[in-house]
Amino acid sequence: MTAAVEIAEVVKEFGGLRAVDRVSLRVAAGERRVLIGPNGAGKTTLFHCITGTLPPTTGRIAFFGQDVTRLPEHRRTALGMGRTFQISNVIADLTCLENLMLAAIGTDGRKWVLHRPMVVFADVRERALAGLELIGLGHRADETPRRLSYGERRQLELALALTARPRVLFLDEPCAGLSPSERVRISKLITDLPRDLTVLMIEHDMDVALGLADRVTVLHQGRVILEGTPGEVQTNAEVREVYFGHG
Amino acid sequence: MRGARLALAAAVVVAAAALPFVAGPFWMGLVTQMIVFGLLALSVDLLLGHAGLFSICHGSFFAVAAYTTAILHVRHGAPTLLAAPAGLLAGTLLGLVFGLAVRTRGVYFILITIAFGYVVWGVAHRWSSFTGGDNGVTNVPFPAVAGMRVESHTEYYYLALGVAALCALGYRVLIRSPFGLALRGIKGSESRMRTLGFDSNRHLYAAFVLSAALASLAGVLYVYYNRFVNPVAASFPVSVEAALMAIVGGSGTIVGPFIGSAIILGLRNWVSSFFELYAAIMGIVFIAAVLWVPEGLVGLAARVRGRAARA
Amino acid sequence: MTTSAILQAINGTSLAALLFLVASGFTVTFGLMRVVNMAYGAYYLLGGYVGLSIMQATGSFALAVVGGGAAVTVFGYLVDRFLIQHIGQNHLAQVLLTVGIAFVVGDVALKIWGGDSLKVPVPVSLRGAMELPGGMIYPTFRFLLIFFGAAIAGTLWLLYTRTQIGAVVRAGVDDREQVSATGINVDRLFVMVSALASFLAGMAGVVGGAFLTLYPGAEWEILIVALVVVIVGGLGSLGGAMIGALVVGLLDAYGRWLLPEFSYFVLFGPMAVLLLFRPQGIAGREA
Repeated sequence: MTAAVEIAEVVKEFGGLRAVDRVSLRVAAGERRVLIGPNGAGKTTLFHCITGTLPPTTGRIAFFGQDVTRLPEHRRTALGMGRTFQISNVIADLTCLENLMLAAIGTDGRKWVLHRPMVVFADVRERALAGLELIGLGHRADETPRRLSYGERRQLELALALTARPRVLFLDEPCAGLSPSERVRISKLITDLPRDLTVLMIEHDMDVALGLADRVTVLHQGRVILEGTPGEVQTNAEVREVYFGHG
Repeated sequence: MRGARLALAAAVVVAAAALPFVAGPFWMGLVTQMIVFGLLALSVDLLLGHAGLFSICHGSFFAVAAYTTAILHVRHGAPTLLAAPAGLLAGTLLGLVFGLAVRTRGVYFILITIAFGYVVWGVAHRWSSFTGGDNGVTNVPFPAVAGMRVESHTEYYYLALGVAALCALGYRVLIRSPFGLALRGIKGSESRMRTLGFDSNRHLYAAFVLSAALASLAGVLYVYYNRFVNPVAASFPVSVEAALMAIVGGSGTIVGPFIGSAIILGLRNWVSSFFELYAAIMGIVFIAAVLWVPEGLVGLAARVRGRAARA
Repeated sequence: MTTSAILQAINGTSLAALLFLVASGFTVTFGLMRVVNMAYGAYYLLGGYVGLSIMQATGSFALAVVGGGAAVTVFGYLVDRFLIQHIGQNHLAQVLLTVGIAFVVGDVALKIWGGDSLKVPVPVSLRGAMELPGGMIYPTFRFLLIFFGAAIAGTLWLLYTRTQIGAVVRAGVDDREQVSATGINVDRLFVMVSALASFLAGMAGVVGGAFLTLYPGAEWEILIVALVVVIVGGLGSLGGAMIGALVVGLLDAYGRWLLPEFSYFVLFGPMAVLLLFRPQGIAGREA
């Protein structure tokens, strides 16, 4: 069966520094894959290469069998990639509803309409509202993200990625900076995601990571040092040293 | 609140329609200029207030449209129905070329538009055989369609007013459309928009060309009013002032650029009547606006209203 | 034909020397302090006019050059301290503010020195023409300008690449936080760099005023050409400013000679090409 995401020997160099060093990965459709590793392991950079935010120095990236290595970011989104950022990247001056409407229309030809007001497209508005309801922010639809708490903004970030109806969701530390109760909330949201949606997640919090994952990939200094089930990873000595040794 | 705004809007409409009955040709001419330059400022603000791009070359589209219309009339005897649309088209075509600038962002974009603007000024200034050099093109006839000529100050005022009103309505539709929302999204976070599937460069390019078209329309209105055009129309001060008008009046709004135009032109008119160094005064207005009223008059009014509502 | 071509090359190179003086200050000020200062053209003009007055009063060209530079240094410092520092990193605000300053300077200069084209008198020892290899005659002053520009460029390059201050500036252009981490007084560094940049622009005005003349509007013409230099060479890059100055200077000279009516168009060429393939300029970093 075709893998949802398959990358081969991806390298990303910045000047003399190799942030990603010949990483290969194969994520099956519907899988929940978590990337863990200490800070600076290259996890976010790897995400950037796969989603197209940064071009890889060398390597090949395939999405459901299609080579997307040279495809620009917005085209990869059209194929079904969705992502969240480590630092909340929402549009601060637009309302939450407007944010999600943009997410809903991002890969729709109607985004080019300039002679009719947005409100005319009821289905877009409904999808956006549904996205807000899903994360429990339906009542804040007409407020801007500036009025939201940090945790709520992380949720909005997740809703943005989901509203675009991706086939593969890339989550970059969705729980970063959240209170314990907020973490539980987000974890539940992720767990409840439909099984036909493939999820790749970078997570620093071991408990969250191991609880959500089908398989875990461990990165260290840009290289994959282990890949396996949560149980295998948790008991591996090298991982313990690399990960916990660095705190 | 809504009642008050409606009443204000109604009062403005009535005042605008009634102006010719209370004002002489001088004042009508001044207000006509405010409208024309307000349109130019609006075109700059489509990029500035909605797409986050600060372009200082819109005088080029304005001037190219004006020159094209003027030259077609004066040297080739073209009728208005040909010369006016040709002017609009010429400026828009230039916009298609200068739109290359959207491959850059931030400071680079600003600098490149400045340089582009100067190229047009330089050509207008040096290519005397075609553009008339510093003297420009003079004796542009009154616009005439199907035997009806727009001759008097009053008639021209209503023409400009009508065109501006139509443009404002169209602009309103544009900024409320999905395209307009996408522009504001790009202004807010281009990286986020790209991951949502938007080709930001293409959107910005389209916005640039649209704003060039609007600036060109202002240029056509300008040349029929002025009855001549010279390189000053393409000069850097004109482009920069258009941006300042948008900012002073309130960037991101529809009326802001027009209010800004009224303030700047009104101020210049008043100051130059008693003080020689009015360019210096304009400079001081720039400085003051930046230091004390960065959100413009509309923004300031909103702030004051907000404070009043909370009190 | 070749004599003319070589002549234009010298013209272009001497212009490049002048352009480098104005552009280098602009580009390093941006690279280090992220300030876009559109008043550099006005600084040039102000320096030129002040130098002219000094020359008329004392007859000393050296004094005029230094005095013109010093006057602009002081003015530039006041502008930095009381105006630019209040608006932070907002480029739009910086552009509007500094354009406003340029308007004020231009208008006041018009009042004081009038609207006629004025020439800074070339010192007697540098007047006339000299004979170049190949039998060509070329104005001495303009020719020596090339060496003057090269000397300044060389000195700046040495300062930039071989001294500790230069290393700090280079690091600061790369990453502003790094500079404060080294313990150097960042504010004082900024003031020094800004002062040097202003001085160069003012000096350029005096020197340029000796062969290009000074007149209302000159401040914008020189600024625009300097901006093209900076765009072509890459914002923040001193080396880029050198390359850019040469490219633009030569293009301008040849453009004026071959296509006088379209010489501004010739400036457009490299910019458009650059935009298509390398928007950040020859030596600039990704925007």
